[in-house]
Amino acid sequence: MQEEMPVFKSKTMQEPGMKKRLWKSLKQIQTTERNLFGNTSTAVIYSSINAPPSFKPPKKYSDMSGLLASYSCPQSKIYYHNSEEYKIVKKMPSDISKGYLTLRGATSLV
Amino acid sequence: MDQEFFDNIIYLKDLKATQDIVHEYTLKDQKSPLVIDNGSFQCRVGFANRKTPQLIFKNLICKPRKDRNKKDTKEEIAQQAPPATLIGNDIVNIEALRFQLRTQFDRNVVTHFYIQEQIFDYMFTHLGINTEGSVNHPIVMTEAMVNPNYCRSLMSELLFECYQIPSVFYGIDSLFSFNYNDNIKGTGLIISLGYHTTHVIPFMNGQHIIDKIRRVNVGGFHMMTYMHRLMQLKYSMHVNNITLSRIEELFHGHSRISYDYFEDLKKWSSHEYYDNHIKKVQLPYSQSAATTQLTAEQKIEKKKEMSRRLAEINARKREERLAEEEDQLQKLEEVLESFDDEDTEDFEMGLKELNLSTYEELEKTIAATRARIDKIKLKMQAVETGVTTEEKPVIIPMPPQGINLEDWLSEVREKKSAILEKKQVRRQRRSDLAKRRTAAAQERMRIISKLAGKEKGTDDFGSRDEDWDVYKAISREQDSDSEVENEKLMEIDEILRHHDPMLEDEEKLKMTPAEYHQLHFSVEAIRAPELLFQPSMMGICEAGLAETIDYVLKLFTATEQQQLVDNIFLTGGIAKLPGLKERLWRELMEIRPFKSTYNVKIAKEGSFDAWNGARKFTISGNNLNAHSITKEEYYELGGEYIKENCFSNFYYKTPAEKIDTTVVT
Repeated sequence: MQEEMPVFKSKTMQEPGMKKRLWKSLKQIQTTERNLFGNTSTAVIYSSINAPPSFKPPKKYSDMSGLLASYSCPQSKIYYHNSEEYKIVKKMPSDISKGYLTLRGATSLV
Repeated sequence: MDQEFFDNIIYLKDLKATQDIVHEYTLKDQKSPLVIDNGSFQCRVGFANRKTPQLIFKNLICKPRKDRNKKDTKEEIAQQAPPATLIGNDIVNIEALRFQLRTQFDRNVVTHFYIQEQIFDYMFTHLGINTEGSVNHPIVMTEAMVNPNYCRSLMSELLFECYQIPSVFYGIDSLFSFNYNDNIKGTGLIISLGYHTTHVIPFMNGQHIIDKIRRVNVGGFHMMTYMHRLMQLKYSMHVNNITLSRIEELFHGHSRISYDYFEDLKKWSSHEYYDNHIKKVQLPYSQSAATTQLTAEQKIEKKKEMSRRLAEINARKREERLAEEEDQLQKLEEVLESFDDEDTEDFEMGLKELNLSTYEELEKTIAATRARIDKIKLKMQAVETGVTTEEKPVIIPMPPQGINLEDWLSEVREKKSAILEKKQVRRQRRSDLAKRRTAAAQERMRIISKLAGKEKGTDDFGSRDEDWDVYKAISREQDSDSEVENEKLMEIDEILRHHDPMLEDEEKLKMTPAEYHQLHFSVEAIRAPELLFQPSMMGICEAGLAETIDYVLKLFTATEQQQLVDNIFLTGGIAKLPGLKERLWRELMEIRPFKSTYNVKIAKEGSFDAWNGARKFTISGNNLNAHSITKEEYYELGGEYIKENCFSNFYYKTPAEKIDTTVVT
């Protein structure tokens, strides 16, 4: 049952509870790190080298073709490039249009 | 067909991983430090005395889940060995196991150390290490830029306590790569393009300026998953065929960074440009589907043939039955005759044989048999006459008097498309209702709960006839295609078949199965890599690469800025994307003052240079002894401790946890 243990491993490290341990996600680690160092610290930590927010207005691109989009469908909120694309947008099944919106970050799947 | 036609088709290779061998643990190896480039995409491992890494594998493990259908009785568990965990290149068919893959990384940081432990086991085993109870090699390993102390201390704990290593040095991959390609004592702007993150690292006089480094949280992973979803949404019928590995191949082989994204988009919007530059990705498909493809005429011919054969079989059956019935009748009549001859013995025998008891019954059976024979004969006659009617000329539907044929046809065509549209809408509604979370399904649930939620006594449902319409609205079956419409559609099709030449063209335009399995790969080739410059396309509101470079540069004085841009260095797996250098060149032109100079260069071997640089560091001079943390230091100063140098992170001791003394009132 027990998987064969490689010879080079220290025998004392084999705690049976090892596998059950819960590992913190990076998000949790970042939060604890921020709290520990506090706002006044000059230390450079993981969250302090994040890129600045973008100052340029986000461009709109057609969800389907990626071309520049000047229009958006009032029902599905899908961006589209021209009337040809709109014909497809009108008939687009809702799971596909949802998928495009999620990809663009406009909605999140519940 | 001419060769030109095939030039734009991309055939995927679908390469599979080959399993790693267990390397020989030579005497030289036994005295050599070990270099590990632990990247979030790939891990590269090798002894420093070798010129190339011995192991290169994807940093993934696959832990097969227990089969839920099997019972968990104790005997069974004892009988079957647990399914083996697959690691790195053990995973030959990665797509089959896609959902069971795990990695120790969260973004570019190692957070899951049980997986990391299994990966270490894998690499040490495959290097042939066989020393009892320890891995007796100094280790040089890469870690994330500004790796959290928490993660480093866990890594040290694992290395020192589980593997009993003598010492470790943690360096940063992109700085190792810079050292390998350039002079580590120099100045430059390092741009490290990784799998999960992209770093902009200002490097001045042999030292990185830690507080001015910025990280764009976009990497190859995002570009590839973005492309993957795009292609899946565009070709929803091939969802399962568009695998991530295929997209990876497509991404590395055929995507590029656009020099001027707007210009390129404008070009793509023209049909002519599209036709000339479109690439088609050929998905595999089974050839058997191709042979069944028949022309319309052949289909009709086949149908006729089938019906003819069926008629033949029926006729033969009828004849057989007729013969049988006539036989029976003859027997019955013989018995009847014997009754007429007053031969009681024969009569009794005959009755017994026929399972009959009385004379009346016999007469009845005779009558019934006669009736059956008549019926069969009638039917046979009907079929014969039917065959003759089939050969009558088919009536061609003609337009009503006084209407131009063309006008009439277009009218008919419109009717057809209207019916088809109605059908499509209904089909859509049906599929929407079948799924949860669609607007239609939610509306249905709302109505149902409203109906059920009425208070007792106040219910006046049914007092008006319209009340019952609600059932139409929530019914799932109400929308079946109406029979009348189907008939109408058939009629229209009949008319069009006779008069409309366009219908045949449509049939001819139908795709071959090869074409049906081709994905048009157009704007996607530049759209996915563009995420690096416009993360907003993915809904991330952080600055893109160009904006971040601009931001970082502005943190320096003008002369320092010039020194930095004179030596811009690209490294990492994404650095070799075609067009990246040119694009940065253009972006810098916008950022930098008019007529300024700058220089962009790319790492020689892209993703391998971190390992090469780490090896160079390991074998040169006294580096290892001077900068590594020994086991004693680990026990003395804790797992998060490192000695700072030009390749490593800075060490900020984690402050002791503040005790919250405020009293909650």
